[in-house]
This record gives sequence, C-alpha cells and structure tokens, in this order.
Amino acid sequence: MIKKIYLIGNPNVGKSVVFSRLTGVHVISSNYPGTTVEILKGYVYVGDEKIEIVDLPGTYSLEPTSHAEEVAVSLLKEYSKDEIVVINILDATNLERNLLLTLQLIEKGFRIVACLNMCDEAGHKGVHIDTEKLEKLLNVQVVPTCAVTGLGIKSLIEKIKDASPALRNQLTQEERWSEIGRIVEQVQRLEHRHHTLKELLEDASVRPLSGFMIASGIIYASFKTVRFIGEFIINKITDPVFINLYQPILEKLTLHWQEKGFWFHLLIGDLINSKIDFKQSLGVLTTAPYIEFGMVLPYVISFYLILSLLEDIGYLPRLAILLDNVLHRLGLHGFAVIPVLLGFGCNVPGILATRSLESKRERFIASTLISIGVPCIPLQAMIFGLLGQFGGLYVVGVYLVLFCLVLILGLIMNRFLTGYSPEFLLEIPTYRFPPLSTLLKKLYFRVKGFLIEAVPVVMIGVLVINILIYFKLFNLVTSISAPVIHGLFGLPKEAVVALIIGFIRKDVAVGMLMPLGLSAKQLFIGATLLAISFPCVATFVVLLKELGWKGLVKSTFIMVAISVIVGATLNFIILR
Amino acid sequence: MRRITLVQIKPNRKAKVAEISGGANLQNKLMHMGIFKGKEMTKLSHIGLRGPVVIKTGRSMLAIGHGIATKIILEVE
Repeated sequence: MIKKIYLIGNPNVGKSVVFSRLTGVHVISSNYPGTTVEILKGYVYVGDEKIEIVDLPGTYSLEPTSHAEEVAVSLLKEYSKDEIVVINILDATNLERNLLLTLQLIEKGFRIVACLNMCDEAGHKGVHIDTEKLEKLLNVQVVPTCAVTGLGIKSLIEKIKDASPALRNQLTQEERWSEIGRIVEQVQRLEHRHHTLKELLEDASVRPLSGFMIASGIIYASFKTVRFIGEFIINKITDPVFINLYQPILEKLTLHWQEKGFWFHLLIGDLINSKIDFKQSLGVLTTAPYIEFGMVLPYVISFYLILSLLEDIGYLPRLAILLDNVLHRLGLHGFAVIPVLLGFGCNVPGILATRSLESKRERFIASTLISIGVPCIPLQAMIFGLLGQFGGLYVVGVYLVLFCLVLILGLIMNRFLTGYSPEFLLEIPTYRFPPLSTLLKKLYFRVKGFLIEAVPVVMIGVLVINILIYFKLFNLVTSISAPVIHGLFGLPKEAVVALIIGFIRKDVAVGMLMPLGLSAKQLFIGATLLAISFPCVATFVVLLKELGWKGLVKSTFIMVAISVIVGATLNFIILR
Repeated sequence: MRRITLVQIKPNRKAKVAEISGGANLQNKLMHMGIFKGKEMTKLSHIGLRGPVVIKTGRSMLAIGHGIATKIILEVE
C-alpha cells in the first residue's frame, strides 16, 4: 500500500517537468535553482490506484542548509517509510553531483526509484551512462527519462509499485563522495567533445568583461522587445478592436440615451467633444476596460513572454553573479535579482519571491526596495502610454529617478539595519532552450493570473470612484490635501484622487491623471510619486504577510517620507 | 607547493582544495555542493569589486560569494 509519492532531486534537474508529466497538472517550472518554493501536489495513476504525489523543493542533501531544504526534509517525515515511495530525479549530465542525495535516501531506508532525467541532453554532451550497472551498484531501479519529450515516463510509473528499500551502511559525508567517485567511474563514459558555441557562451556570460557586454545587450534587447511587442499588439490588435468595433457599438447604445444622469456617468462617463474618449471618459464600460485590455494587457503579455524566456534559458543566475557586488552594497546578494525582475511584472510575486533570500534583514531590504523603486508592468505601460507622448526622455527620467532612489535607499538601509546578509553560493545551470509549448503554457498561466487579479478590481474600483466623484465626496479630501499636492508637488489639487486610487491599482491611478490635462512636468512628478509612494493594496497585503506589522509600519514610513522628499525635490529643484 | 585562496588564484587555472578555513556550517554547506578537501576545481572568472568567483568542478559550474571564496584555500605548484 502506497500512501504518497514524493519527487525529490537537486535544484534544476527538470523535476517540475517530470511532475507535470506524471500528473498532467500544469505546473510552472523554471530554469533557476530553488524555483519550487511552494509545494505542488497532484495525482498519478499507478495501475488503477490514484495516489497523491508531492513535488518537494530542490535540495542537495538530506541535511538541510537552507529553508527550502528544511521544508523538503520535514515533508519526507510525514509518513512512515513503508507507506511512501520516493522518486529521486537525477540529472544525467551531472551524475556525480546528484548521487549524494541518492545515497542518503538509500541509507535512510526509503523505497526509491531513481529517475535518470535529461538523457537526450547527456547524449548530446557525450555523456553515456550504463543504467543497468548503475542499478546494480545502487541496488535500486533506475529509469532513464527525457521529461521534456515524455520519454520513459510510462516505465517510471510502472516501476513505482516494485520500489523496495536497498540495504546500505551509513557513511560519512567524505566516504559518500569517494563512494560516488567509484560508482561514477564504473558507469559513466565520457566522449570527448569540442566546446560548443553554447558552452563558450555559458563561460563568456560569467566572465567580467564579456559578461557585462552580454548583460547590457540582453537587458537592452529585452526592454526594446517588450516595448515593440507591446506597441505592436496595441496598434495592430487592441486599438483597432476598441476603436473600430467596440466604440461604434457603445455609441449606438448611448444614442438613445437622452438623459445623461447617474447611470450614464457611471457606465460611460464624460463625453469629450460629445464623443466617447477611452482615455478620458472614465466610465466602467469605457475607460476601465480600455486601461486593462487596451493599454496594460499588451505589455503584460510581452513582458512575461520575455521574462519567461530568460528564466527558462537559464540566464538569470548569470545576471545574479554579475550584479552580486553591487547588490552586496545594498545589503542584498546577487540572487535578489530574481525577485526584483519578477517585481517589474507585478510587485506581489516579486515580494513573494524574496522568500528565497535567507536572512530576514535581506528580505526586508528587498521587499522595501521593490515596493518603492520597482514599478509594475501595468504602471509602466501607463507611463509609456501617457508620458511617452511628451518624449522618451521623460520615460527614461522616471526610471533614472527610481534607480537612484533604490541605490541611495539600499546604501542607507545596509548601513543602519542590524543583522547580516548571507553570501552567494549557487550552482549555475547550463543554457537550455525551452520547448515553445512549455514557454507558452507558462505565459498563459501568468497572463491568466493577471487577468483574474486585475479585471475585477479595476471594474469595481472605477465604479466606486465614479460614485464618489458623482456625489462629490472627494471634495473634502481634495481641499484638505491641497497644500501638499499643489503647494509641495506642484500638481493640481484634484490629483490627490489619483494618488489615493493608486492604493487600489496603479494603472487606474495614472488613468485618473489623464483627464486633468497635466503638463509634462506635472505628469512626470505624478507618475514618479505613484511609483514610489505607496504600494497597491495587493502588495500591501503580501508585505504584511512577509514582514509582519512592525516591518510593514517601518517600510510604510520609509515610503511616505521618501515620496514627500522626492516629490518636493523634483518640483522645486530638478525640474524648476 | 604553495597555498593561496580561491580569490587569489588566476582565472583558468586548476587546483586542489587544501583546506576550507571556515566553521562547520560552511564546511557542511560546501560539502553538499561537492567542494571538500582534495577536490579539484578550475577557476573560470572573478567579478571585480568583491564580486563572486565562478568555478568549474566535475560537470558543475558554481558561483561562490567573495567572502566564502577567501576561505577556500587551494594548493598550487
């Protein structure tokens, strides 16, 4: 009787792909170590039996040295050893490195099946493994697989039932490594291969000079491509749909609407030159869907396409290496690059990803920097769309201000916060070219996640705002805050509404700035303030979860103080 | 035979680990990654300004933070 099946393996051995092959459940898998922070569960049919299968976080050993590894090891203790089967996934291209965990699992007396994954890639690299001999030496079943194509998965499932514990003496760590050396010598045959272009690139991207050249090239190209694809979708797909299809329908509907009262104001909003203007009308059926689908969604798609591609190729750990020295001075280490990049999509997954950072201090610094200095893609899309009209220099300016803020703030926090930031120690995966289907699947889930999160909030948000505006409920707030908004930041006093709405959604907030007829300078200040001032409510909730009340209050205080300083500085000094 | 740290050795040179001059915790962590006394490794690069050192050992490529790299002592001829 098998109660549960566990998948365990080193980071980056294709574990998540095996998992999704076994269960058919769609799983997001990435090409950097430690990606499976949350635990994934699914079901697999062994014969007629439906058994739960758990994907454990990547781990190098059963003696945990990190939080993710602790989770993996403690989950293995949930059931007694005769009630579970452990599928140990090994990377065939790097057998030596992977066998440590295998030996530990066998010594502990687990019933295991070893899954020798990435066999095709090993073949390409000239690594040949004698599976039968390995089976004999380890005394457990070994199944060669190639999870990306699905090869060998069937026989892996068939072998689950026959898994039985093998007897082995407890070894010390040193003894294990020499045992591994002996095993590898007997089962692995290496064919000499010349360095491939891929390997040369792998090396070049972590050498100082060539590395930075490649990195700047990739970052520049990514940015350009995100904008190009985003604009392409807007110009060729969404704008034509909105203007040629949706607008005539709305206009026909409203033609018979004589009295332009409460409901008209709510649904359609104000007419600009007696026409619907998707950017300025501010109705639930006009501006709300246009902001989400016509301005933001195209960039969400293009951003996640490029990010997923960089992730799956395995470039991000290399970027982490190159930026480690800079990030160290901000109290972080190279790996913080990944939460930051995710934060550029949406701050919520970015802050959640800070969990992969080891110390509490580092998590605080990273979360605060992300919520202040990293604008999410909806906000960026609106900044491109609006501020871009005044010239690209303004857009670059916003990024420059944010970048300087992150540097200054990081230096300060690193100086004054107590605690430690641990050192970098990371295995760097080889470059892999993800199959298009995996990439598109990942993109689909990310875009879907965005739509589920954003659309209801935007619709309800715009509805509530319209009601508040209709009944003139914002007037009091507007006049109270006028000295700060107008006096200090140089914005029209109505802009406070947008800043408040920024708490609900940043993209809608920028949308609220549209009808105010701001000058380039005012829009620049408004957009920058929206980026730094206060995270949206979703980010706020994760910040609370990750940092606790004390951390949140500290972080919020920093944000409010910074926005007042930056807003006033921009208004009185820099853009005077 | 000379002993130098992983930070000091020149890129593209191969050497054996002579000692890891850190606490049990660090030794353990490195041991899991396959770095221990007697292990051979090739330094690939070192990112300046106290950036990490990148090494190749066996079939893996590892990035090691500057601080840890100063504690890995190598034996060179």
